[in-house]
Amino acid sequence: MSRVSRCIAVGAAVLAATLPAPARAQSILDRLRQAAAVARTLLPISTDKEIEIGRGIAATIAGRYPLSSDTALTRYVNLVGLTVAGQDPRPDITYHFAVLETPTVNAFAAPGGYVFITRGSLALIRSEAELAGVLAHEVGHVNAKHVINQIRKADFTREVKSAVDIQGAVLDRFVGAGTNALFMGLSRGDELEADSLGLEYAAAAGYDPGGLAAFIGRLSSHAGEGALADFYATHPKPDDRVDRLSAIAQREHLAGGADLESRYRASVRSAQ
Amino acid sequence: MSRPGIARWHPPQGQTVRAAHRKCRAWCGARPARRLALAALLAAGTAAAAEAQRAEWTDVVYVPGRWAAGKLVSRKTTDSRTDSLALVMRVDYFSAPPRWRAEIRRTADGQTMGNPDIVIGEGTRAVVVTALGATPLEQHVLGQDPLVRAAMVFDRNGRAPGPAAGRIAERAADGSVGRVVFRRSVKNPSFADALLDPGARSGGRSLLASGISAVGDQRQASVVATAGARGVDNIQTPSGAVPVKPDSMAILRMEHFTVGSVALEEFLRTGGLGPYAPAKSDSGGRQP
Repeated sequence: MSRVSRCIAVGAAVLAATLPAPARAQSILDRLRQAAAVARTLLPISTDKEIEIGRGIAATIAGRYPLSSDTALTRYVNLVGLTVAGQDPRPDITYHFAVLETPTVNAFAAPGGYVFITRGSLALIRSEAELAGVLAHEVGHVNAKHVINQIRKADFTREVKSAVDIQGAVLDRFVGAGTNALFMGLSRGDELEADSLGLEYAAAAGYDPGGLAAFIGRLSSHAGEGALADFYATHPKPDDRVDRLSAIAQREHLAGGADLESRYRASVRSAQ
Repeated sequence: MSRPGIARWHPPQGQTVRAAHRKCRAWCGARPARRLALAALLAAGTAAAAEAQRAEWTDVVYVPGRWAAGKLVSRKTTDSRTDSLALVMRVDYFSAPPRWRAEIRRTADGQTMGNPDIVIGEGTRAVVVTALGATPLEQHVLGQDPLVRAAMVFDRNGRAPGPAAGRIAERAADGSVGRVVFRRSVKNPSFADALLDPGARSGGRSLLASGISAVGDQRQASVVATAGARGVDNIQTPSGAVPVKPDSMAILRMEHFTVGSVALEEFLRTGGLGPYAPAKSDSGGRQP
């Protein structure tokens, strides 16, 4: 081997040691590519507009299922939610969490940081780590602007020249499109990305990273129940998600963390 | 004679000029393409190394004692594992040596955290950044606070000592426990360079700054009214269209539901979460 080749080999080794891990680098590249693809074609929407649209969507969600007036339960869900949302790298978003009074099993995230979880979901969840996983998944949707990107793909948005025009009747159309996207279900890719982000946030907050997978896995044994009909219609197959979450946890060496089953029981089970 | 501005090159000791030139040619590459590849490789390596030096971490600072009716009742102890602790301060650090930034939030009553005081430094020099400008830390009232002084621990290279994560008990001169710090590092620091610029005052980017304490005061009621004016909507669901009347008041209630920053800190502590999570040897958090 010539000296130059040796020099290049040493340089490459140094570079490999200092660059982020290949898997992470690949994931960053994927996200950059996705972001670039969206940015090339679609109307830019500022954080303020995102919050305005999200507030309208949140109002529609709260219109369909009433908000719980259980202060202790809402406080607990907010504490868990804020713990995982603290790992979200978007400082421009203020997160709010609420419980919806319905036996339906589901959770929703409106743009701008409005996150909801249903009583039906809380009844199936067994630990705080599972709740953290579900809420972190929703925070992942907000972070990645999945609903906003879905709205921007709608035909009517081509008539809107700038984000300033998103007001009045135009704002209503944005809210309507976002609400329908949320209730009809986001794409499989969006759901899987939210799973991945949720796993990352929950683990970074100190929770057992297996929480989300444990909850999704439990849903399989309740398949066919009425309360889960909408969930199954709007999300990828639970088994696929569990496999993928396990693979990510293994790849990123995520293990350990707090489960906090008894605190969950004390905070939620007593409220039911 | 050497050209002005260019240092004369001397062969390393024990080598002839010719042998040294031969060695140099071999390392630098005889062809421009090789030279370019080498330069690119080295530049990329340098950039990656600089990126690897960035660090972001949080210290939650306690002192032995407790809060009683809004007053701090101190307690003297030599037991570094004591759990009788009163929360006094939270500091979020952002560092790209030699520059760094500390966002300091203190509690005066054990109930609420104040807005962040922002200190930006380069090496051991630090300024407090306010809306009016930057004041050297030693001339600012913050610089007189022993807790703040204890938190400004950067050396002349802008590095801070100590572990990346875990519980750190610091003793006073008499051997009693002075501060107990719970530290947690961010695995992949992602802050913008502008945060380290004294000219750009951002009100803090952490949860406690932008999240909890500010709830409810940044939204306009008119926005809510707009959303509520839509009347009944028909939303599409997997089981068909469903008429829904948006409930804007519920969202106002949601926005006004606040969880105090001190309550969140207590929640994290009792659950062993965030900065209170047990330190792992392979946590990936970078040394501050």
